[in-house]
Amino acid sequence: MAVEVVIPMLGVTVENGKIVEWLKTEGDPVEKGESLFIVEADKVTTEVESPATGILAKILLPEGEEVPVLTVVGLITEPGEAIPDAYLPPGASGGVPSKGSKATETGEQVDFAEDAPATQTALSGPVRIVPAARKLAQDRGLDLHSLLPSGPENVITYDDVVKADAPSDDAVPQRISTLARRQAEAHGVSTDAIKGTGVRGRIMRSDVTAAADTVRLERKVSRSAAEVDATFGSVIPMDSMRQTIARRLAGSAFTAPHVAFYTDVHMDPLLQYRKSILNAFEKHYDLRPSINDFLIKAVALTIREFPLLNGMLKDDGIHVLPNINVGLAVAIPNGLVVPAITDADQCGLKGIVQQRSDLVGRALKGQLSMDEMERGTFTISSLAQFDITFFTSILNPPQSGILSVGKTRDELYLVDGEVKVRHVATMGLAVDHRIIDGAMAAGFVQGLKEKLETPAFTFMHT
Amino acid sequence: MDPTKDQLISLYRTMQTIRLFEERIVDLYARGEVPGLAHLYIGEEAVAAGVCAVLTDDDYITSTHRGHGHVIAKGTELEPMMAELFGKKTGCCKGKGGSMHIADMDRGILGANGIAGGGLPIAVGAAWSSKWRATNQVTACFFGDDSSSNGTFHESLNLASLHKLPVVFVCENNGYGISVCQAKCTPVTDVASRAVAYEMPGVVVDGNNVLEVYEAAAKAVKRARAGEGPTLIECKTYRWRGHHEGDPNQGARYRTKEEIQAWKEKCPIERFRKKMLKDRITTKKSLGKIDDDISEAISEAVKFAQESDFPAVEEMYDDIYV
Amino acid sequence: MREITYCDALNEALRQCMQEDDRVVVLGEDIGCYGGIFQVTKGLLDEFGPDRIVDTPIAEAGFVGACVGAALTGMRPVAEIMFIDFTTVCMDMIVNQMAKMHYMFGGKGRVPMVLRTNIGAGRGTAAQHSQSFHSFFAHMPGLVVAAPATPYDAKGLLTEAIKNDNPVIFVEHKRLYISKGPVPEESYTIPFGKAEIKREGRDVTIVATHALVGSALEAAEQASKEGIEAEVIDPRTLSPLDKDTILNSVQKTGRLLVADEDNKTYGFAAEISAIVAEEAIYYLKAPIIRNASPDTPVPFSPPLEKAYMFGKEALMESIRRLMAYA
Repeated sequence: MAVEVVIPMLGVTVENGKIVEWLKTEGDPVEKGESLFIVEADKVTTEVESPATGILAKILLPEGEEVPVLTVVGLITEPGEAIPDAYLPPGASGGVPSKGSKATETGEQVDFAEDAPATQTALSGPVRIVPAARKLAQDRGLDLHSLLPSGPENVITYDDVVKADAPSDDAVPQRISTLARRQAEAHGVSTDAIKGTGVRGRIMRSDVTAAADTVRLERKVSRSAAEVDATFGSVIPMDSMRQTIARRLAGSAFTAPHVAFYTDVHMDPLLQYRKSILNAFEKHYDLRPSINDFLIKAVALTIREFPLLNGMLKDDGIHVLPNINVGLAVAIPNGLVVPAITDADQCGLKGIVQQRSDLVGRALKGQLSMDEMERGTFTISSLAQFDITFFTSILNPPQSGILSVGKTRDELYLVDGEVKVRHVATMGLAVDHRIIDGAMAAGFVQGLKEKLETPAFTFMHT
Repeated sequence: MDPTKDQLISLYRTMQTIRLFEERIVDLYARGEVPGLAHLYIGEEAVAAGVCAVLTDDDYITSTHRGHGHVIAKGTELEPMMAELFGKKTGCCKGKGGSMHIADMDRGILGANGIAGGGLPIAVGAAWSSKWRATNQVTACFFGDDSSSNGTFHESLNLASLHKLPVVFVCENNGYGISVCQAKCTPVTDVASRAVAYEMPGVVVDGNNVLEVYEAAAKAVKRARAGEGPTLIECKTYRWRGHHEGDPNQGARYRTKEEIQAWKEKCPIERFRKKMLKDRITTKKSLGKIDDDISEAISEAVKFAQESDFPAVEEMYDDIYV
Repeated sequence: MREITYCDALNEALRQCMQEDDRVVVLGEDIGCYGGIFQVTKGLLDEFGPDRIVDTPIAEAGFVGACVGAALTGMRPVAEIMFIDFTTVCMDMIVNQMAKMHYMFGGKGRVPMVLRTNIGAGRGTAAQHSQSFHSFFAHMPGLVVAAPATPYDAKGLLTEAIKNDNPVIFVEHKRLYISKGPVPEESYTIPFGKAEIKREGRDVTIVATHALVGSALEAAEQASKEGIEAEVIDPRTLSPLDKDTILNSVQKTGRLLVADEDNKTYGFAAEISAIVAEEAIYYLKAPIIRNASPDTPVPFSPPLEKAYMFGKEALMESIRRLMAYA
C-alpha cells in the first residue's frame, strides 16, 4: 500500500513550505522515522521524517518549489509495489515499468529518475562519482552535490573529494554531518578549526553555529547592512527569509487596519527596581534580567486583563488563544525573527529571563525551532538601543497586538515647582482595529504603563 | 577351475545379498528415505557375483550408475553402503557421492560412475597403473551395452589391447539404454563381436547363469594376470525394475509386462538355487538360514543408516581439494 | 644464474621429477620420438623409455581417463594435450572424473595428475588451435589451474604440480616457449595460490597472466616515464587464486586493469573484476578495465588475427584511461 509523503503542518501559522533538499533519491529504501527531506517554511529549515518504511518510489515535488503544507510531495511503496497511475505523468502506467524506466522486472528497485519532470533541478539527479570518492565523501560528511567533477564524463574523482575537503591532517579525515557542512557554508565559516562534539569527533551543526557565533562577534555586529551587496545598480536576490518577511508584513499591513496608541512611561521606578534586585538575582540565579524581561512580564499580565489582545481573527471568528506567549523581535544578520516566551503571564521573572536569554541566543545562531517562532500571541518590538524616540510597528500576523518600545530618554519634569530630570520611554501599541476598539487599546496601554511604573507591586510575586 | 562348494555357496550369498538389498531399497525409496536416483540391479546379480568371485581384494573394479551389485560383490560392508545411499556422514563417501558415486578405495572399488562410458578409460588407467607398478592386479570394468556405442569404449579397448593391459571389460547387456533397445542403438547383435576390432577375445555368456559368468571371468582374469591383455565379456541379462525407481517402464512406453515376466522366469538366483539343490551342494534349510542372515544384516544396515547423522552443512566445503 | 627457455624449464621439471619418482609417467600425442609438438618432452623417451614416455593414439578421453585411473591407483601421471582446444574431446574425463572424484568419494580417493596444455593465438592456426579458454577450468571446483608466465615459474610450478596431490590443469603459453629467463638447475617448487608482485607501483594495479605479464611490465616501464607507477601482479595459479595480494594492491592503487587472453565475457578478467567489485569497491577510484580477447573465434587471416591480439600498447592505453580518473 503506497504511503503519501506530505509537507507536514509546521506550526499554527505556517501555510507554505518548500523542500530545500531531498535527502533520498527515487528508488532509495527508507525506514520509517529516517530523515527524508529538508523543508523550509517561514525562515526555518526542518528535517522531515519518513512516515513509512519502504521505497521512495516517486518524488512529486522537486527541490525549491514552494507549496502549501499538506501537499503530497512523494510516495513510499513497498518493494515490488507498482506506483498507482494517479501519481504518474499522463500516459505512464505503474503496472508495467515503462520504457526508459529503470524499474527491474521484479520491481524491487523502482527508479524513475529518467521519467523525472524537467523541473527537477540538477542537484537532485544521481551523482556520478567513483566508489572510492563516494566513500571518502561519506566518511568526511561531504555533500556529494557540492562536489565539482573533473573526471571523464563529468564523474567526481577521488582527488575531487580530497580537494573539496582538504583536511589539515590527511591521516585523520574530518568527520562532519551534512547539515553542519551546509550550515558552515551558509555562515561562510571554515570547518578546519572546529572541534567536533559528535560521535568520534564528528562536527555537528551546533558546533558550526557556535563557531559562527564567535566569528560573528569578532567581526562586530550589524553585518546585515554592511554585508548585503547593495551596490547601486545591483539586483539583490530575495532569500527565503526575506521573501517570508515581505509576504507576511505586506499581508498584515494590507489586511489588518492598524491603529496605534502612545504613552510615555516613567522608567525610573523600574530602573531602580531592577538595580535593587540585580545583584541578588545574579547571585541566586546566575541570570541577568534586562528591561525587556520586565516588559515581557508586564505585557503578559496586562494581556490577562485584556484577553482580546491575545486574539486572532480567523474566518470563523475571533480565536482567543489560551496561552499568553509573548514574542520578542530579534534582529539577526539577514533579517528578523520573533521567538516567543511561553505562558509569560504565569512564568516567574527568573523563568522569563531564562527563556528570553536562551531564545535570543539561539535566534542569533539560527537554531530556533519552527514552533518557537510561531507560537507567539503578541509581539514586543524594542528599538531602545537606538536613538529612536518612538515608532510604529506592523502587526505580526495573525496576532492582534504589537508593542513598540523606543529609547529611554531624559526628560525635564516639574516637581513641586522644581525642574527635575527623569527617564521616560515612549511606548506605542498597534492593534488590529477590526477586533480591538480604541478604548480597549487605550486601557491596555494605560494598564501596562501603571504596571511598569509600580514595579515593586507588579513583580511582587515573581 | 571349477568352483568349490564354498565358492558356490558364496556365489549364492552374494547374489542373494544384492537381491535383498535392492528389494529393501525399493521400499525405502518409495517411502522417501533414500533420496535422489536409485538404479537397481535386480535381475543382473549373476554378473557382478560371477565376475567379482574371481577377483582378489587387491584387484580393481570400475562400476556404473547401476553399481550397488558390483559394490556388494566386491565386498563393501552393507552399513556404510546403506548410509551412503541415505546421504549420511557415516556413508562410504561421507554422504558426498550417493548411489551413483559409491567408491571404496580399500576394496579397489574406483567408483560407481554417473557418466555412461565414464568408467572405461579409468579402468584402463588402473590396469596400466598395475602394470607400471608391477603389482599383478587386474581391473574389471563393468559397463552397459549402450556404453559400447560411446567413444570411450573404443578408445579404451584400443589402448588396453595395444598395451596388453590387465583389464577385463564386462558388458552387462540388459538390452536397454534407459528406454532405447539395443537394436535401435547399434547394428551389432553381440557387443562382444566388437572385440575383433581390437585384437582381443570377445565372449558372449548367459548373464543369468552365474557359473557361466564365473567361468568366463576366471579365464579372462587369468589371461590378464599373465600379461596377455584384455578380454571383452558380454553378459546377456535383464533388469527387472525400471531404469531407476519411479521409471514407469512397464507397458506401452518401451517394454511389455510379458517381456519382463519372461526374464523373471530366468531369474539367476532361482536357477542357481535349484541347481545347487539338485546337485545336492546344499539344503533348503541351509539356504534359508543364509537368506535369514542376509535379511538381518540388511536390517541392521538400514538401522545404522537411519540412526546416522547427516553431514554438517559446513562439511560441504570439505574434500574439494586434498 | 643460467638462462634457459620456458620450454627447457618445463622439460627439466619433467626430467627431474621422473628421475626422482618412478610413479611419474607422461602420456600424450607425439611426445616420444617427436619430443612433443613444442619440444617440451624432447629427449625424455631416450632417458626413460617407452613405458614411461607414452605416445598415445589420438584418443584424448582414453588417455586422460587412463591418467585419472592411474592417479587414483598410485601413479603420478602427466598428460599432454597438444592444444587446449583439444581438451574439449576429453571434457568428461576432466570435469566429471578428474575434478570431482576426491569430493564424490568423500575425500578417500586422490587424483594426483597433471594435464599439461597450452593457450595463445598468433601462430596462424585459426579457431581450433589458438584458443585461450583456461578460465573454464578455473571455474571448476576441484581443479588447480596453473599459468606460468616465466621460465622460472614454469619449472617451479610444474614440479609442484607433479608433487601435489590435487589434479592440476597446467596451462602453458605457446608464445612463451621460446622466451628465456633465469632458472635454477636444482629442483624447486612454487606453492599454489601465491601471486607474485612482479613490479610495485602506487597508481594502477595490473593483474596479468601468461604472456601479458611481460606486456604489462613493458607498459609499466613506459607509464613510469609519464609519472605513472603501475603495480604488476601475476597470480601464477588461477585456482587457487591469491585474492589477498590482488585486493591489497587495489586498496593501495584504487585502479584495476586485468590483462588476460581468454575471451572477455565470463572469463578470468571478469572474475577478477567481480572479486574486486565485491570486496574492494570502496577503494576504486576508476572503473575497472579488462584487456581481454574479443568475443570471437580466433580468426585465421593474418590482419584479423593481429587485430584479435593485444599487448603493451593496449595496456598502455588502458593505463592512461584509468589515470584520467585522478
